[in-house]
Amino acid sequence: MFSFHDKNHLSRRSLMKGLLTTASGLAVANWGALTHSQTIAAEAKRSGKRCIMLYMEGGVSQIDTFDMKPGRPTAGPFLPIQTKVNGIQVCEYLPKIATHADKLAIIRSMKTQSVDHGIGGYHMHTCYPSSQRFPHPEIGAMVAKYCENPDSDLPSFVKIGSGSGLYGAGYLGPQFEPFVVADDGKLPGFANPSVVPDIQDRRGELLNFMEQRFAEQRPGEPFAAHRTSELRTLRLMKARKTFDVSAEWEKAKSRYGDSSFGRACFTAFKLVEAGVSFVETSHQGYDGHNDNFPVHKANLQVLDPAWASLLQDLQDRGLLKDTLVVWTSEFGRTPAINFQAGRDHFGRAWTIVLAGGGIKGGQHYGASNRDGFEVQDNPVNEGDLFATMYKTLGINHRAKHFLGSRPIWATPDGAKPIQELLG
Amino acid sequence: MANPFSDAKILYTLPWNSDVVFAVAFIGNDKVAAANRRGDILIWNLPATGDKTPDPAQRLIGHTGPVNRLLVSPGGKTLISASNDRTVKFWDALKSEGNPGTIVMNDGYVRAGVSVAKLPDPPPPITVKVVEQKPIREFTGHKEWIWGLALSRDGKTLVSGDEAKQVILSDAQTGAEQRRWKVKHWVRALDISPDGKLVVTAEQFPFIRDGDTDVGLHGWDAQTGEMKFDATKQFEASKVLNVGPTSFRFSDNGKYLAFCLGHIDRDGPAGKVFLLNPTTGEKVRELTPSHVRGATDLAFHPDGKHLFTCGRDRVVKAWQLSDGAQVHEISLAIGDKKKQGPFTPTLHAISISPDGKLLAVADSSGQVVVCTLEDRKK
Repeated sequence: MFSFHDKNHLSRRSLMKGLLTTASGLAVANWGALTHSQTIAAEAKRSGKRCIMLYMEGGVSQIDTFDMKPGRPTAGPFLPIQTKVNGIQVCEYLPKIATHADKLAIIRSMKTQSVDHGIGGYHMHTCYPSSQRFPHPEIGAMVAKYCENPDSDLPSFVKIGSGSGLYGAGYLGPQFEPFVVADDGKLPGFANPSVVPDIQDRRGELLNFMEQRFAEQRPGEPFAAHRTSELRTLRLMKARKTFDVSAEWEKAKSRYGDSSFGRACFTAFKLVEAGVSFVETSHQGYDGHNDNFPVHKANLQVLDPAWASLLQDLQDRGLLKDTLVVWTSEFGRTPAINFQAGRDHFGRAWTIVLAGGGIKGGQHYGASNRDGFEVQDNPVNEGDLFATMYKTLGINHRAKHFLGSRPIWATPDGAKPIQELLG
Repeated sequence: MANPFSDAKILYTLPWNSDVVFAVAFIGNDKVAAANRRGDILIWNLPATGDKTPDPAQRLIGHTGPVNRLLVSPGGKTLISASNDRTVKFWDALKSEGNPGTIVMNDGYVRAGVSVAKLPDPPPPITVKVVEQKPIREFTGHKEWIWGLALSRDGKTLVSGDEAKQVILSDAQTGAEQRRWKVKHWVRALDISPDGKLVVTAEQFPFIRDGDTDVGLHGWDAQTGEMKFDATKQFEASKVLNVGPTSFRFSDNGKYLAFCLGHIDRDGPAGKVFLLNPTTGEKVRELTPSHVRGATDLAFHPDGKHLFTCGRDRVVKAWQLSDGAQVHEISLAIGDKKKQGPFTPTLHAISISPDGKLLAVADSSGQVVVCTLEDRKK
């Protein structure tokens, strides 16, 4: 007689994997073991890379952070401080990040095209302009596809909060859509089981067993999609405790800063540590058209301990070498200070910072000119940036995909990785 | 409703297109000082008649960061400035001699907005010969940007507050620090009561996002630094404080305590103005209608009966303190939208001459506007 308690019969994970095999080849959304062919899984195991994106929503000022212009009319009121790396100075309100300068590759020559929030957010998440009206996937979906851990119960692409925008998996398909949790890491209501885990597991197995028989008789996408959703929920229920960092946060918040962004960075660390391939969190409020400096100053004081502690924890746990940490935004801000004591949107010469994941730290790449109005050396566009990030994550930046019969590449034609940044 | 300011009108528009003009203060009844985000301070002598726009006569050199506040000692002898350079500087406000110098009045950037592809060429320089002066002393007890600056009515005690959350009382004559205490958030504005017993602070840690704003309105014993009242809680439910306080002042007669809101630009009538009980901090009344987008500064009229406020809506409002009614409004709206740019320039600060006849506004569009509050022909 068949027993659901017979451990020799079928493990729960095997059962789920087995179910997938029968699911008409339909990939399960954004879920490690459930989604991939053996080829992709093997590639992912070979890469073993992860990525955390810290997205400064609104457009962060390069001159007030990593490309300071002391003594120039564009300087603004912030002062530079020396970091632990000769020749690299940062804003006085990033003192903790200054101690990690040896890990940072500071690209001071970003030259990008989309200088308003919606189009800029899309462009800096996909490396393609939204004007193409083509469903490009955001970087998190691409990393989920190529870098996810096939054995993980966790989703492979997590967004903590949705402040940086949701651009989706595009042509990669719904299985790589982001899994969005609240700013404090709380999961959606459906992830909370109504019964104890053991009963929940047994219910799930019974349901799967019965539906497997049903599916064998009735193959088709609608039913497979329905079962996919069920499986996602069941697995999320089992893994949900990974998202709950409340107990550890009490100790960590003195280092990360007692802020929602600090907590999000700590949650990102814990998720990556647990095997999530891509985590994005946003820090809101950089759109300083007026009174830019008090607002940036306040934000930098929240950013500094959170970002620095994230890098430190990744390093302490031996994860930094395989985890790319990206500090980015939709664009920079004007060197000119307007008459509201603000800085406006600016894409002609701004800054992005990379660390970890094989990036060679302790360096500047490129330069803006004396007052910061133009790139002076080594311009970097969206495609070059993404090619560099993909390269260090072990993803072929010219990977070809198809939307129907139409080919599309991971980065635009001509995009090249910046070799000087790759360790 | 009686309107003693019905004849108010613009007397002078003093152009200064160098950086954001952020602070203003009358020196006596015939001189006005203004300061900008570059750290420059200029003084204009105001002719009795408004026939000719005067050029600045003096330039005060010393600050290396934006000047946030200006005030003048009783009697008009000393000008005091507070800056992001972490210093409070004292200037001889009556001295007219100094080294000759030249200042360019229009070397500021032309506004660069969202869609600007290339900065326009700068205009031909407009130069003015001035007398340059240096500070007579400075106070260096702060380690962060200084936004709170007030002087006791007897001129003896200086109170200053900074973004390290420090409030410092010092001897205005010697600069000797008397006491300091820490408040909860960054100090945005403060004042000391006319009897010298109470210091009030308006505090904020600014975020643009709703819900993350940390704000405080407190009263402190000037002798001990002990908190006497917390006026914050009565506003918590409405969240009106989230846009951030910009000014907090006692009237010279001690009967009124007022604050206004608008540190963060917000759509709608966010620029609220409130009167509080000057002893307990309890709300007495809100003055309506509010400024649109934010109120940035306030000044009590020397008559003790009226309050003036200015805001991001480029409006100066006159309020009757007895009943809170708005009795007059001066609009400095910019007709030429091209000059305005994508975002409306703000009126950042306001000052009223000791005789109550003139009002000056620091206008971020690159000018200081001086208004007469009476009909000069009468």
